[in-house]
Amino acid sequence: MFDRRLIENFDWGFLILILMIGSVGLVILYSAVSAGQDLSGVHVLFTKQVIWMCAGLCIMLMTLVIDFRELDKLSIFIFIFCVGLLVSVLLFGRMGGGSRRWLALGFVTIQPSELMKIALIISLASVYSNSVSETGLTFRKLIKPGIFCILPFILIVKQPDLGTGLLLLLIAGSITLFVKVEKKVLFSLSGICLAAVPLVWFTLKEYQKNRILTFLNPDRDPMGAGWHIIQSKIAIGSGMLTGRGFLKGTQNALSFLPEQHTDFIVSVLAEEWGFVGCSVLLILYFFLLFWGLNIAYGCRNLFGSILAFGLTAMIFWQIFINIGMVMGLMPVVGVPLPLVSYGGSSVVTNMVAFGILLNISMRKFSSN
Amino acid sequence: MAIDFKKGIQKRIILVQVLMCALILLLAAKSFEIQIIKGENLSILAKNEYSKYLLVKGNRGEILDRNGNKLATSIDALSVAGSPKQIKDAGAVSKKIAKILGLNARTLKKKLSRQRSFTWIKRRVSPTEADQIRKLKIAGIFFRDDAKRFYPNRDLAAQVLGFTGADDNGLEGLEYKYNAVLDGNSMKYKITKTGTGKILATEKKLKEKLKGDSTVLTIDRKIQYLAEQALKKTITENRAKAGMALVMRPRTGEILAMANYPKFNPNDFAGYDRDTFRNRATTDAYEPGSAMKVFTAAAAVDKGFFSPKSIFFCENGKYKIGRFTVHDTHPHGWLTLNQVIKFSSNIGAAKISESMGKKVLHDYLARFGFGRRTRVNISGETPGNLIPYRRWSKIDSGAIAFGQGISVSSLQLITAISAIANNGLLMKPLLVSKIISSEGKELEVFYPTPVRQVISPETARQVSRMMSSVVTEEGTGTKAAIDGYTVCGKTGTAQKALKNNQGYSKNKYISVFAGFAPLKNPELATLVVVDEPRKKHYGGDVAAPAFRTIMAEAFNYLSIPPEKTEPMIAKAATGETH
Repeated sequence: MFDRRLIENFDWGFLILILMIGSVGLVILYSAVSAGQDLSGVHVLFTKQVIWMCAGLCIMLMTLVIDFRELDKLSIFIFIFCVGLLVSVLLFGRMGGGSRRWLALGFVTIQPSELMKIALIISLASVYSNSVSETGLTFRKLIKPGIFCILPFILIVKQPDLGTGLLLLLIAGSITLFVKVEKKVLFSLSGICLAAVPLVWFTLKEYQKNRILTFLNPDRDPMGAGWHIIQSKIAIGSGMLTGRGFLKGTQNALSFLPEQHTDFIVSVLAEEWGFVGCSVLLILYFFLLFWGLNIAYGCRNLFGSILAFGLTAMIFWQIFINIGMVMGLMPVVGVPLPLVSYGGSSVVTNMVAFGILLNISMRKFSSN
Repeated sequence: MAIDFKKGIQKRIILVQVLMCALILLLAAKSFEIQIIKGENLSILAKNEYSKYLLVKGNRGEILDRNGNKLATSIDALSVAGSPKQIKDAGAVSKKIAKILGLNARTLKKKLSRQRSFTWIKRRVSPTEADQIRKLKIAGIFFRDDAKRFYPNRDLAAQVLGFTGADDNGLEGLEYKYNAVLDGNSMKYKITKTGTGKILATEKKLKEKLKGDSTVLTIDRKIQYLAEQALKKTITENRAKAGMALVMRPRTGEILAMANYPKFNPNDFAGYDRDTFRNRATTDAYEPGSAMKVFTAAAAVDKGFFSPKSIFFCENGKYKIGRFTVHDTHPHGWLTLNQVIKFSSNIGAAKISESMGKKVLHDYLARFGFGRRTRVNISGETPGNLIPYRRWSKIDSGAIAFGQGISVSSLQLITAISAIANNGLLMKPLLVSKIISSEGKELEVFYPTPVRQVISPETARQVSRMMSSVVTEEGTGTKAAIDGYTVCGKTGTAQKALKNNQGYSKNKYISVFAGFAPLKNPELATLVVVDEPRKKHYGGDVAAPAFRTIMAEAFNYLSIPPEKTEPMIAKAATGETH
């Protein structure tokens, strides 16, 4: 089963890129969790994250064993399994921060909505690879993928976790546009989306509306809802060109930064490493994404191509939304930064995604 | 078809790559804008956020007794503060905190709902309260180092010390009078503040450095204590309303004890009647009764009108002056001046005054310090009331000679008695002896200050001797006698003047005993005043025993050797005692 070609074709460059970003991420996280603390030794969150990273790498390597084309056949089972997990989250999930997002499984807690992203991408790749045409998808052909999207979306929004839900739709939308839809379908879908905007506004919770209003005008409530974004901006700005230096960020150390080890971790990077540090991370991410798309480009198998595209899109949206939010380009949504933010489920999900990409990459010459 | 489709996909991938590149450039551009273009301004904002200037105030100085014992001090205490903008559920938080600290939950909620970054919740909480609050672990609730005024001896000398209010400002007593001295120094101090409102740099050392100066009193904690105990005992035994006891060192005018009753605890002054706060010994003036006869006699002897052996006819207990009749408690015929003092004859005193004339008596009383403030550093001191002699009626000059129609403060009385003990030299009463810095350096020293030679030393000796007869057999103050010492003293039993100036109360008295010892070389002068005793009312019965207790115990404490050792030793040698 394991022929030599697979080893020869192994994408070392992509792996090195992942390891580089992961290392950068750990450096930032170290600062984010330990600055301002009087701890001798390493912060427990940092140790945890290192363990998650190692576990993630192992899982990534394990995904290489199975040919990615098997996923095509397994897609429906993976999907059902993940939906099952989401349902059990609603039933037995663990509460945290006002929502029910985690499942306790013995010594680990997982966030099934993270895994759902991958399951959805696999399912859509599977469906679309069998139904595409040169002219694009028709309405009828969108019914099945539509159900695949809406079902997990509803389950995730129920938790409630609107950020992940919207991310799911964004990924699905990207894949759908990527495989091409008929022009009239495209126009009517855009129309529906625009029409839905005011409707969505009324279904939003008060804090969600606040986040959007605050995004539009952060000075509206500088001590309340605007506090996060203003503090984040101050921290980023005070990094200037070269930053204040590792572990020397005052805004980080003095707890002015909110959620500095999870969603707002970029502000720690920006404060301590400056514009130079930000640029380095962005360049690394750019290479990673470019590489991911190249894998999609080079794959001879349609399912593999769409799958690689979907996974890359997932990584991209997380990066863009997270950094965009921290920089004040978009409202505050809880989306972690791949390989940098603290969080086991996020690490594992992204590692699985990279594993599948590596899998596709090393088997790009095999066609259907 | 699949190949064509694949081509289409590849085209779109390139398109997506370009799009992605643009979006990542957008992020980079935003980063450039914030960090390079606005970076400088935002850096300043950051600095303003964590660097704040805080007015740090040093702890309040201490009040020490003459031996350096702390009478008033400041102990470290934690204050609870909050950062309302960081408190999420002001209602729930307020409920929890209000319960622990005993505050009103509603007003606290209002405080915590304001969008501010700092507010006091409660100053100076107890360690247990602080622990309970700490356990709640509420974000936005934190502690600040603060200091709490503490009076380690509780109600000891409470009226002398006074107390401080919420902002550590003196409100009563020496705390008020010496507020500027005791108050800690302030300094603007750069601090580092965290996003949760915590202050990182320690203020403690600085607070110690900025500590206010301390005052050292002439009060002796031990003598103060035994004076308070003796006073309390006689007041409870005689079911009296109030009282005071003062102990002074005649040579220097140093006040060793200044006791007032009823007492209060300055650590918890809010729980006491305001009426107990004032230092009656200096603020209240009253008619001292027969104790004044000492000064009448001193004037007569000093001016050369009479000697202790001069005799007066005491009219067998009834003597008419104008439409008034002066009475003696026991009818007397002929008495020497010494006996007038010993038996406390009002008629005798009135007759001495008549012979001297108003001006002489008035001038001597004024020279003893009556009618004028002693200018001891206590606020609210009363000058008493010594009417100008031109306005004295005939009965006035008689009555003033035995202590009616004149009002004095206890401090004036003990100071004047001390002058007799001090060879006729009147000293300014001394309560604060030193002001020292927090490092113990003497900043200001107050030395004993003579005011004037009121009577000649010879007169003073003669008056002292007359006073010593008061304590001997048949005298009015035998209960003040102390074994081994010759005690000089004078009783006083004054009917209280009615509030409406309509004469004197029939059953309300002020009982006084003033004196000093030993006769030859007086070490201490003591005054005991009991207000409205209800069981007995003679100064010799009510005040003299307390005087005796205070003097005897103070002599013992100060190791003042008895005078009459020689006959005692002789007795012991011949085996007479046992």
